[in-house]
Amino acid sequence: MMSAASDLRYFAPEIALLASAVASMFVHLFVKRGGRRGAGYVALAGIGAAGLALVLTPPSVEALFGGHLAADSFALYFKAAVLAAGALAVVLAFRFFNVEKSEPGEVYYLMLLSMIGMTFACSATDMVTTYVTFELFAIPSYVLAGIFKKERRSAEAGIKYFFLGTLSSAVMLLGMALVFGLTGSTGYAEAGPALAGGSGLAALVAMSLFFVGLFFKAAFVPFHMWAPDVYEGAPTPLAIFLSTAPKAAVIAVLVRAMTVLFGGYTMEWSYILQAVALATMFWGNLAALTQKSVKRMLAYSAIAQAGYLGIGLASWGDSARMAVLFYVAVYVVMNVAAFGLILLVDGGGRFDESVDGLRGLARRAPVAAASVLVVLLALVGIPPTAGFIGKYLLFAAAVNKGMILLAAAGALNSAISLFYYFRIGKAMFLEEASPALRDGGRQPAENVSRTVTAILAACAALLLLLGVLPSLLTSPAAAALIGP
Amino acid sequence: MNILGIPILTLVTFFPVAGMAVILFLPPSRTKAIKIAANIFTGLEFGATLLLLARFDASSGDMQFLERLPWIKAIGAQYLLGVDGVSLLLVLLTSLLTFIATLSSWQAVQKRLKEYYVFMLLLETGMIGVFLALDLLLFYVFWEVVLVPMYFLIGVWGGERRLYAAIKFFLYTLFGSVAMLIGILVLRSQYQTFDWTAMVAAGSVLPAVLQGWVFLAFFLGFAIKVPMFPFHTWLPDAHVEAPTAGSVILAGVLLKMGTYGFLRFSLPLFPEAARRYAPAIVLLALVAIVYGALVSLMQKDMKKLIAYSSVSHMGFVMLGLFVLTPMAAKGAVLQMLNHGISTGALFLIVGVIYERRHTRLISEFGGLASRMPVCAAVFLIMTMSSIGLPGLNGFIGEFMILMGTFPVSWLWTAVAATGIILGAGYMLWLYQRVMFGKLTNPANESLKDLTVRELATFLPLVVLAFWIGIFPKPFLTLIDKPVEKIIRIVNPAHFEAPR
Repeated sequence: MMSAASDLRYFAPEIALLASAVASMFVHLFVKRGGRRGAGYVALAGIGAAGLALVLTPPSVEALFGGHLAADSFALYFKAAVLAAGALAVVLAFRFFNVEKSEPGEVYYLMLLSMIGMTFACSATDMVTTYVTFELFAIPSYVLAGIFKKERRSAEAGIKYFFLGTLSSAVMLLGMALVFGLTGSTGYAEAGPALAGGSGLAALVAMSLFFVGLFFKAAFVPFHMWAPDVYEGAPTPLAIFLSTAPKAAVIAVLVRAMTVLFGGYTMEWSYILQAVALATMFWGNLAALTQKSVKRMLAYSAIAQAGYLGIGLASWGDSARMAVLFYVAVYVVMNVAAFGLILLVDGGGRFDESVDGLRGLARRAPVAAASVLVVLLALVGIPPTAGFIGKYLLFAAAVNKGMILLAAAGALNSAISLFYYFRIGKAMFLEEASPALRDGGRQPAENVSRTVTAILAACAALLLLLGVLPSLLTSPAAAALIGP
Repeated sequence: MNILGIPILTLVTFFPVAGMAVILFLPPSRTKAIKIAANIFTGLEFGATLLLLARFDASSGDMQFLERLPWIKAIGAQYLLGVDGVSLLLVLLTSLLTFIATLSSWQAVQKRLKEYYVFMLLLETGMIGVFLALDLLLFYVFWEVVLVPMYFLIGVWGGERRLYAAIKFFLYTLFGSVAMLIGILVLRSQYQTFDWTAMVAAGSVLPAVLQGWVFLAFFLGFAIKVPMFPFHTWLPDAHVEAPTAGSVILAGVLLKMGTYGFLRFSLPLFPEAARRYAPAIVLLALVAIVYGALVSLMQKDMKKLIAYSSVSHMGFVMLGLFVLTPMAAKGAVLQMLNHGISTGALFLIVGVIYERRHTRLISEFGGLASRMPVCAAVFLIMTMSSIGLPGLNGFIGEFMILMGTFPVSWLWTAVAATGIILGAGYMLWLYQRVMFGKLTNPANESLKDLTVRELATFLPLVVLAFWIGIFPKPFLTLIDKPVEKIIRIVNPAHFEAPR
C-alpha cells in the first residue's frame, strides 16, 4: 500500500476547493466594500483550479487511504459533473445577486465546502467515509437553501431541508450500522462479499435503509417531499446548485453501493430501483403538469428527470453504465439551463417566476429564446439533442435487460413532459408580450441578461453538439470504469 | 456513391439547412431578400433532387447512392442514407411541394418572415431525411425533427385556434413516435444493428409474439401520422388552423411519412405480424374511406372538407398497402404521390380564395367562376384529379388499388369503390357551391383572378396530374421493383399461387 502522502495527489481537486473555500471566507471577512463579490471570484477561481487539477489527475485503480477512498475514472467523471454544476451556479449567482441587490457572501464558500463533500463522496468506498462526506455536503446545503433568512419561502426551505435531511441521514446511518453488525467491516470491498454470503433478509433491510438516505438526497419519489419546496424556495442559483450537483454525487455513491457493497443482491436492488424510477417519473411529470409557477414546475421536472436515471440504475450493466454517465452530464447541463431561464429576464429588481415574463420573448431576445427552445427539446428528449440520446441510451439499457415495459414507461413520460415544457416554448414563440410590457408605460423596463443568454446559448450549443455527435461524450462515459 | 464527387444524398438532405443558415444571417427587416433567398434555396433543392433522378437507375430495385459512415460507435448507429424508387418519388414530391409552398407564401405570410422561412427549410431537411435514412435511429431523428418546425408553422402563422391545434398535433405525433422508439429499441436488441438493409437481409428473426408487439409499436407511430381512423382527430384541427403552405406540406408530405413508414419498415421487417394484422388494418382503412367521405359531405368550411377528404384518401393508400398484393401496393405508392399533388393543389386554391376574402365558409361563395375563370379551371382539374377521373392522376392510383384488392376480396373492393362515389359527391358539390351558380354575395364581385405567381405555383401540379393520368409508365417503372421486392418478403404466397 502506498503512503497517505502519495495518495493525496489523487485528491488535488478537493485540496484546491478547500484552499479556495478558506480564501473566499477570509476575503468575505476582511475585505469590506465589494468583498462579497470578491469572495465569489475567489470561489470561481477555486473551482477552475479544481477542474484543472481534475483533468491532470490520472485515474487510479488502487484503493487509497486504506480502502476509504478511490480515484477511479468513474469517480473522476462524477467529480467533473459536480464541478461544472458548481461553476455554472456561481456565475448565475453573480447575476442573481446583481438584481437582488443583496449579496450574502457566505454563499460562495458554503458552496465550495458542499462541493468538497460531494467530490469526496464520489470517491468514498467505505461506509464511514460515505457518511462523513454526506454530512459535509448536506450541512452547508441546508444553510444555502435558507440563506435569505428574512424571506419566508427561503427560511421554510432551509428548515424543511434540514429536518428531513437529518432524518434521512439517521436512517442511512442505521442501515450502515446493520451492515457493520452483519459483516464486522465498514469498507465496501470487505463488507460486500461478506454480505453476499450472509443472511438475506437482514442484508435487505440494511440495504433498504441505506438506500433511503440516498434516495432522499437524490429526491427520488417517495422521498422527494422536500424537493419542490426547497428548489422553489431557495434563491434560484442555489436551486440550480442543489438540484444538480448533489444528484451527481448521490448517483456515484449509489452505484458504488449497488455494485460493490450490495453486489450480491442485484435482483433485489433492481426491483427497488425499478419501482423508484417509475414512481419518480410519473409523479414528477404529472405534478409538473399542474404547476403555475415556472420555478415550481422546473422543480418537479428536476425530480422527473432523475427518474429517467433510475431506469439506467435499475438495469445497471455495461450499457447502462454508459447511459447513466451520459445522462448525468446531460442532466446537469439541461437543468442548469432550465432554471437559468428564470434568471434571464428581470423587471424592476425582481425575477418573474410565472410564465408571463417569457411571453413573446422570441421577438425581444431571439438568441435566448432559441437556446431555451433547444434546452426544452432536450428535456423532453427530442432529437437532435443530447437529451434524446441520453434518454435513448437509458431506455436501450432497460430493453437490453428485458425491461421493455420500464423503457416504455420512460418513453411515455417523455411524451407527457412535452405538455408542460412546451408551455414555456409556447409563451416564448407563439404568444405576444403582455400588453403592459408592450406599452412600456406601466411596467418598468425589463432587462434580458447577456450573461444568462451566453450561458443558455452555450448549454444549447453543447446539447446540440452532443446530440449530433454523441460519441464525444459516450466515449469518456464508456471509459469511466468503476472499482478496482 | 457520389455524383460529381459530391455525396449527393447528404447534399439533398442538408442543402435546406444551408439556406436556413443564410437566412438566419439576414436582418429581419430585409423581407424581400429573405423571401428571395428562401425561394432560391427551395428551388435549387428541387433542382438537386431532379439531378438525383437523372442519375438514378430505375431498372434496379436496390438502394442506390448508399452513404455509410459510423455515427454513434458505442451503440452501432450509422449515418446511412440510400434511395430507391419509392423514396425517390417522395423526395421529389417533397422538394417540389416545399418549393411551391414557399412560393405561395410570398403574399400570404406577412409577420415574422425570417422565422417562417427558417422553419420551412428545417422542415424540408427533416422530411427528406425521413425518406432517405436507412438507419433506424437516424430515421427516428429525422422523423422527430419534422415535428418542431411544423408545430411552429401551425402555432405562429396559423388561424384562430392555432395554439390548440399546434400542441394537439405535437402531442399526438409525439405519443406515436415514442411508441415507435420503443419498437426501434427492441429491434436493435434483436438484430444488434440499426441498419435497415442488414435487417432485411437477415430476414425476420423476431419471435412471433414479440414481432406482434413491435409491429403494434411501429403501427402506433405510423398510424397517427397517416392518420388512420381512429387516430385522425388531430388532422382536421391541424389542417384548418395551419397556414396554407403548412397545410400543403402537412397533407402533401407529412401524411406520406406514415404510409412510407409502413411500406419501408412495418411490411418487410415484421412480415408475419403484418399478415396477421392486415385484415384489421384493412378494416380500419375501409372505415376511414367511408367515414372520411361522409364527414366531408357535412363540412361547411372548405379547408375542413379537404382535410377530411385526406382521411378518406389516405385510407385508400392504407388499403392498397395492406391487401399485400404488388398491384395494390404500387397503386398505393402512386396514390401517395397523387394525393400530394391534388390535395396540395386544393389547399393552395383554398388559400388563394382565403387570401382574397378572409373566409373559407362555403356558403359565402357561389358563382366565382365568372370572376376567376383561371382559378376555376385549375380547381376543376384538381377536383377531377381528386375524385379519380380517367385521364388524370387519381384514376390510375385508385384503379390499381382496386384492381389489386379485387382478387383478395370483392367486398373490400366494393366498399372502397363506394368511397370513390362519395368522394365524387362531396368534391363536385363543393365545386358547384363555390364556383357555379349566380354570384349572389356582393363581397365576391371584385375578386381578382390568379396572378402570374399563383399560376406558377399550380402549373407544375397540373402538368403532373395530366402526365401521371395519361402516361404513368415512367412513375410506375420507378416504383415497380422496390415495391415488388417488399411484397415478396411480406406475402410470398401471392407469388407462388397460380395466376
